[in-house]
Amino acid sequence: MIHEPISPAGLGAASPLARPGAASPPTAGTPGAGAPRAPHVPAAARRDLLDELEAGQLANDLDYATPQELLAWALARWGRRLAICTSFQAEGMALFDMAWRLDPAVRLFTVDTGRLPSETYEMMEQVRGRYGVEIEVHLPDARKLARMTTRFGPNLFRRSVEARLLCCSVRKVEPVRGALDGLDAWVTGLRRDQWASRANIRKLEIDHDHGGLAKINPLADWTAEEVRDYNRAHDVPEHPLYARGYTSIGCAPCTRPTAAGEDARAGRWWWETNAPKECGIHCPLETGGLEHELEAMLHGSEDGEGSAGSEGREG
Amino acid sequence: MPKAPEAEPDWELVRKRNFVERLKHEKGGLAVIDDLPAMIATGYEAVPEEDMVRLQWYGLYHDKPKLGYFMMRVKIPGGVLTPRALRTLGDLAQRYGRGHGELTTRQNVQLHWLEMARLPEVLATLAAAGLTTAGACGDNVRNVTGCPVAGLDRDELFDCRALLREAAEFFLEHREYSDLPRKHKITISACAHQCNAPEMHCIALLGTLRDGQPGFAVKVGGGLSTWPRLADDLGVFVPAAEAVAVLRAILDVWRLDRRYRLSRARARLKFMVDDLGAARFRQRVEERLGRPLADGAAPAPPAEELDHGGIHPQRQPGLAYAGFPVYLGLMNGEQMQRLADLAAEISADGRRGEEVEIRLTRRQNFILANLPAERVPEVVERVAAIGFPLAAGAGSLRRLAIACTGNPFCNFTVAETKGRLRQIVEHLERAFGAEGAAALGELRLNLDGCPHACAHHWIGDIGLQGTTLRERGPGGERLQGYDLFLGGGLARGAAIGRPVLRRVPGDVVHLAIERLCRAWLDGREPGERIQQFFTRHRDEQLIESAGVPAEVLAR
Repeated sequence: MIHEPISPAGLGAASPLARPGAASPPTAGTPGAGAPRAPHVPAAARRDLLDELEAGQLANDLDYATPQELLAWALARWGRRLAICTSFQAEGMALFDMAWRLDPAVRLFTVDTGRLPSETYEMMEQVRGRYGVEIEVHLPDARKLARMTTRFGPNLFRRSVEARLLCCSVRKVEPVRGALDGLDAWVTGLRRDQWASRANIRKLEIDHDHGGLAKINPLADWTAEEVRDYNRAHDVPEHPLYARGYTSIGCAPCTRPTAAGEDARAGRWWWETNAPKECGIHCPLETGGLEHELEAMLHGSEDGEGSAGSEGREG
Repeated sequence: MPKAPEAEPDWELVRKRNFVERLKHEKGGLAVIDDLPAMIATGYEAVPEEDMVRLQWYGLYHDKPKLGYFMMRVKIPGGVLTPRALRTLGDLAQRYGRGHGELTTRQNVQLHWLEMARLPEVLATLAAAGLTTAGACGDNVRNVTGCPVAGLDRDELFDCRALLREAAEFFLEHREYSDLPRKHKITISACAHQCNAPEMHCIALLGTLRDGQPGFAVKVGGGLSTWPRLADDLGVFVPAAEAVAVLRAILDVWRLDRRYRLSRARARLKFMVDDLGAARFRQRVEERLGRPLADGAAPAPPAEELDHGGIHPQRQPGLAYAGFPVYLGLMNGEQMQRLADLAAEISADGRRGEEVEIRLTRRQNFILANLPAERVPEVVERVAAIGFPLAAGAGSLRRLAIACTGNPFCNFTVAETKGRLRQIVEHLERAFGAEGAAALGELRLNLDGCPHACAHHWIGDIGLQGTTLRERGPGGERLQGYDLFLGGGLARGAAIGRPVLRRVPGDVVHLAIERLCRAWLDGREPGERIQQFFTRHRDEQLIESAGVPAEVLAR
């Protein structure tokens, strides 16, 4: 339901487009009509955010672009308003290497959930040394983290899918959100063949899960082999856990190696039953998948008709 | 900007670049039906996602969250349902789908909450009632749509129901046409009002007469989603008897060109038509056919869009049809059952030999066809008792407002859809009162929860697309907002709406819409429709009229 609606008084008075003498039917539901006119939004004050028409056209034009061409285009457009998101897996590292060769000042950010394997911290050091860059690190909110761990314990994720989603939310989803808040564009390592039902992603999208900034997916049509080949050819640092059988790398307690041929789900939250399909595997944060599952599982409505409040508090 | 590759890629490259092409090559979508028993034995959690994608070939999608429930889309060619077919849908919704049901903008019916283990019996029950889900989703010829009063309306040029059925059956589960580059949408009608939206289909056959002979003009390359485009007139006349052959030729030109299979993002016919232009595309079709097509021109678009609502005498003496609003497009299983039983009862009593049919419209409403004229008042009363009053609310708002599936089912939506539309419509009804709502006339509100545009936000008078605000709630939760698109529409004023207001917070969007309506009512030229009003004004003027403070939009 609607909580604390913005007062209609915040909306302006009679339309500036009114013809003299014309009158619409009397107002019954807008007590605020007659309040001072709302200030105009000057276009120049807006950030460089794409609108849907523009994004659709660009995504079409850019679909043929190589990863480097796309990165060059995006860096030229957004510069420091753009950052690459990495968890030091192969895709993120390849993208950073490509972007760094185009512009050594390119921004790179990561989230330190507080439960990362020590190898990931080694990777951070290695990347800092190899490229001579700072990695912007985003952390969970200390108070929320304290509240959660105090109440549910440090290993709450083993208790239930809901508890694990809460942990993901506090440790990962919200810090990523915080990182994106200051940006106009971000670059992800999403690939179309990572997950069958996500095969339609575009190389440029408006990220409606993160406030409408641009999301650039330069590796969308690359295969895992192409990423690996690029990294080898360019001597890009490789996360040591790959060599130990890991296929995807996240928090230490929730990730483990998988045997050849084993389902990808065996490598993440293997103790869970009745977890949503796709949840947590193959970058669902970047696809918005984790956010959607979070809301459906933690804030979901029972109402089959779609009540106005089913995604939590209204904006 | 990189250019399209000159050379046509080989299959190896297509399959390397496009995962779904690889997936289809390994096992076609239609083949998944043979694996269903094994998948059920394995259990939902262990079914590979590739097979989940293949299930789209039978109209099945994950519901949200992905815990084992499915949405099922049932194809209704031309939107025509017999009482028995509707009764079957109602029974299935009640028995397996927690009673939920919804009508779509392409004359389909969707059920939810279906479990994988029950699919074999659900599919068998549908088949026994002459219904199918094959090709309802996936890379197929989707439901072939048409005018919901085909064969009934007095203004119709000719009755093309037989052709529509023939086309639907020809492409159904056809191996060659179930491996298209992506989804493909066809509409066929001879409706004088072109009510079936030929402007936004991959292929539209528009009925026209030449020397008294029925035939079709052809429009190609329309579509919405993230790259909205209005269709082009191919400039041909196709005699009715050759229509399926021409549809095939168009689909062959499309599916056999591997360029558009490299990426799902460009795998829609509109991209090819845009790249080639209508003239060169026509040439390719003629080459495929092995003969030239006769020149022709699409009939002029009508002045306004029409949804065939209300009561109208049919071409058949003594019969009438009645178009009822379905508020938010929601029709639950019990309502389906009761409506079907009513239709069956009237049919049994019919002295004219015509079965009463339930016809679905593209604005998520239904029409009861073949009603004995003298029973119309009684039928109207009884349909109202089922939950579909003919005069629902004030004016036409509830009849014409549409929203996509959205919450709680859809995995793509980022904002409330049907619930939000209800809030907006009921606010406008309160704000304007009965008289004012009548003054709003045929206002079309089209609301979508994501860029896929299932509810066609690009072509509403006011289109809304769900988004999230940059600001978060106090608990860190996402806050919903809507981008507003103004000035879109079909028919003579066909246009893609302009994105004018971005990220209007969910809790004030109804107020912004009220103010935009008021700006039109106060500022319109005599007889000016709201779409024309929006077209006449600049974005800045409309933003000011909407009255959303800058600090609110900046959130």
